[in-house]
Amino acid sequence: MEIISKKSLASRIVFYVAAFCVLLFLISLSVFYFFSKKSIEEKTIENALEITQNTVLKTEQVLISSEKILNNYRWLIEKNIAYADSMEAYTRRILQMNPEIIGCAIAFKPDFFPEKGYYFSPFTYRNKDLLVSTQLGNEEYDYFVMDWYQIPATLEKPYWSEPYYDTGGGNALMTTYSMPFYSSNNGDKELAGIITIDLSLEWFTDIVSSVKILETGYASVISRNGTFVTHPNTDIIMNQTIFSFAAEMQSPGLRQIGRNMQAGKTGFEDVVVNGRDLIVSYKPLLTSNWTLAVVFSRDEMYAPLRQISLVLIFIIVIGMALMVFIVKKIVEQQIAPLKCFARSSIEIAEGNFNTELPDIKTEDEMKELHNAFVHMQTDLKKYIKNLKETTSAKEKIESELRIAREIQMGMIPKIFPPFPDTPEIDLYAMLEPAKEVGGDLYDFFMIDDTHLCYAIGDVSGKGVPASLFMAVTRTLLRSVAPKQRSTSEIVNNLNNSLAIGNESSMFVTFFIGIINLKTGEMNYTNAGHNPPIIIHADNKSEFFEITQDIPIGLFENYDYTEKTRVLSENDRLFLYTDGITEAENWDEELYSDERLIKCIRAINSLDPTEIVMKVARDVVVHVNDCQQSDDLTMMSIIYKGSKK
Amino acid sequence: MKCLQTFILCVLATSLFAQAQPNELTFTPHWLPQAQFAGYYVAQEKGFYADEGIVVNIQHPSASVNAFQLLADKSADVISLFMVTALQARSDSFKIVNIAQLSQHSALMFVSHKKNGIEKLNQLDGKRIGIWKSGFDEVPKALIQSNNYEVEWVPILSSINMFMIGGIDAMTVMWYNEYDQIINAGINPDELNIFNFADYGCDVPEDGLYCLESTYLQRKPELEKFVEATMLGWKYAKNNPDEALDIVLAEMKKAHIATNLTHQKWMLQCMLELIEPGTKNVKKGELAETDFHKTRNMLKESNHINGNISFDSFYKPVLK
Repeated sequence: MEIISKKSLASRIVFYVAAFCVLLFLISLSVFYFFSKKSIEEKTIENALEITQNTVLKTEQVLISSEKILNNYRWLIEKNIAYADSMEAYTRRILQMNPEIIGCAIAFKPDFFPEKGYYFSPFTYRNKDLLVSTQLGNEEYDYFVMDWYQIPATLEKPYWSEPYYDTGGGNALMTTYSMPFYSSNNGDKELAGIITIDLSLEWFTDIVSSVKILETGYASVISRNGTFVTHPNTDIIMNQTIFSFAAEMQSPGLRQIGRNMQAGKTGFEDVVVNGRDLIVSYKPLLTSNWTLAVVFSRDEMYAPLRQISLVLIFIIVIGMALMVFIVKKIVEQQIAPLKCFARSSIEIAEGNFNTELPDIKTEDEMKELHNAFVHMQTDLKKYIKNLKETTSAKEKIESELRIAREIQMGMIPKIFPPFPDTPEIDLYAMLEPAKEVGGDLYDFFMIDDTHLCYAIGDVSGKGVPASLFMAVTRTLLRSVAPKQRSTSEIVNNLNNSLAIGNESSMFVTFFIGIINLKTGEMNYTNAGHNPPIIIHADNKSEFFEITQDIPIGLFENYDYTEKTRVLSENDRLFLYTDGITEAENWDEELYSDERLIKCIRAINSLDPTEIVMKVARDVVVHVNDCQQSDDLTMMSIIYKGSKK
Repeated sequence: MKCLQTFILCVLATSLFAQAQPNELTFTPHWLPQAQFAGYYVAQEKGFYADEGIVVNIQHPSASVNAFQLLADKSADVISLFMVTALQARSDSFKIVNIAQLSQHSALMFVSHKKNGIEKLNQLDGKRIGIWKSGFDEVPKALIQSNNYEVEWVPILSSINMFMIGGIDAMTVMWYNEYDQIINAGINPDELNIFNFADYGCDVPEDGLYCLESTYLQRKPELEKFVEATMLGWKYAKNNPDEALDIVLAEMKKAHIATNLTHQKWMLQCMLELIEPGTKNVKKGELAETDFHKTRNMLKESNHINGNISFDSFYKPVLK
């Protein structure tokens, strides 16, 4: 099937059509062969039986007429049995009246006529056109022990002799019909002798030999003892019996047929002789107890059928070859436009939407395909045109966003360490927006020589609006913070500025702290932002208290609280946005505050850069390539103490 | 072609040596051509006689004139005979001598259709038994006589037709010949009751080679060559049965005798077995003295022969 599947469509169609046709032909041929065989068999058998019957009738007629002749003359002989010298005349008369008889003897029992001697048997036979009469019987020819005399005399029944060759007259195949005749002795019937007539079996052979059935079928006559009287093979005649032949051919079946013949049965049987499957139809000749057999080969019976079948197979093979050729041509012609369509589709795929389609003149499936291609060409042209426009617009937006990102990123400090000349403090921060631009922000700057202001925030929403809000917030922070020392004031100012005209109700969570680098005192305000973590010098960490204050930008004049904390030497702060704790993995599990504090506690480092990077790596491990949904912003500050 | 050559040779031999040339012998088997005499035909055909420097004419008896008669009128120099026939002749003062004993065993048997109900030998008493008219009847008659059975002997020429048609109750047959003819006429072996003479103390040797005593005395060298070549013929037939059978069949065809390969094959096999001495203390071709005495005594007891016939006077082996 793999080979077939690699062939062309035309080849596949032809293959399946041809396979179906072959199957159909095979079935048809088998059915034809089966029924024809049966019909031929029936007709041949019928013919064989008819031939057998007719041949038996023909041969029986001659034998029966011979029997009648002797019956008629026996009466005359018995009536005139006293006249020995008239016997020769009877034998001559029989021959004169019956040209088919070639010899006749009236053989008397020993010393029947004392004056005639021990043997007395007038015998007349034909010698060419003459009738020659003589006496049979002498010491050399003791006819009393001859079958033709002895058997009917013993059985007192007429007897057809086994066929024999006439040693005196040209080696002709003969048979003798013998019949006892009787004399009356004081009223008792006594056997007086045997009257015989000799028949040439030439006529018999002619009748039987004329039988032909099929190519080599023939008829044969088998004598009482199984001897072949006639047979197409003359070497077999009188030399073989059916039994010796069966032994020579090693055919037990033939022997059984011979025995059936001897039993006077009529039959129709199959037998294997010398490797040939033969059919034998046989019927007894009731007069002589011989059997006529019609023999023919089973192979020959089916030979014409085999010939016709071979011719049919030849025609089918040629027809199939022609059919395959023609069907292939037709199919190839019909599907030829498909190749053009394939080429056209490749060109279309390569962008040549105006490529020429094959010209279809028929109104069929191929035309439908053509129309579909035309439609596709038109739609593709429209689509590509739209796509170009959309892509152009998108590219423009993306370009603008890239610029916006650069601007946004430019707004936050990115130089670390930011204060190399201020040993009391070190700081590191990072911001990774989820989109081109984000709403997170961080910032830090020195208000004066001793005060560091730092802040982190997260604008509600994402993208361009959030980034704009973030920019406004950061700008406001930079303008407000340097003038204030109170984080709550800074936040209040920011809130009031952002809340005015905030129609889109955007807000920002915000944490801001100011550290006095001399004292470590830190005041801070948390406007709804995630509580930062403080990592003490002994590495113990904790979240700041949760704020009660709301994010900025929501309500004008909201008064934010300010808290104070004193940082010890090497205390570290870790600030972050909810993008960290709410980072999701594929199972939608959050990074969480617990994992964050656990991570922080495990870091044990004084380097803010290392703290931020390790947390960043831990978040990456957690999300495991799951798409980032929110901006990630972290800031870490270490207070190293006053360096007075 | 070979047949033609043989024929021409025979004609030449006959014309050249019509006056009984010293190296010419006429041999007559005791029956018509068949595998029973395969050794002689093979010796003739293969040139074993010619190799010995003798010319042998094989002349068969007719259906009515037997070999013995041919020997008597000196038409034949050597004949094959049953030993019993020879002993009878000798008893009748016919001076014949045995120069070689070929068949060491009896192949004689009575057969009867099982349907006749003759299961034991004594059931033959009072029955009609077919027997050859042309002779070979001494042992059957002696066997029946020794058992004091009264049977009606029905003389038969040569066919098995009387037996087949039920004209007789039993028939005397030769194991190698008529028995197989009966089988080849459609009777199965298991449908026959067989009385093998050997089983009833009559295992007497059969086919032997005989000549007149005068011939023996005058032509011993040729006789010796004849027997030597004949034994060689039998040996060849044993080793080449198919070829031997072809020779036999050709001989039979020449004589217009109906036969077939199956029957002649059977006969040849039987003859080759009969030639083997078996447990008898003689070589092939020799006559055992015990066999001689047994046969002679049996014939005496059955009154087939009179007087004393000595082994030495009867048996004159020519083989060295």
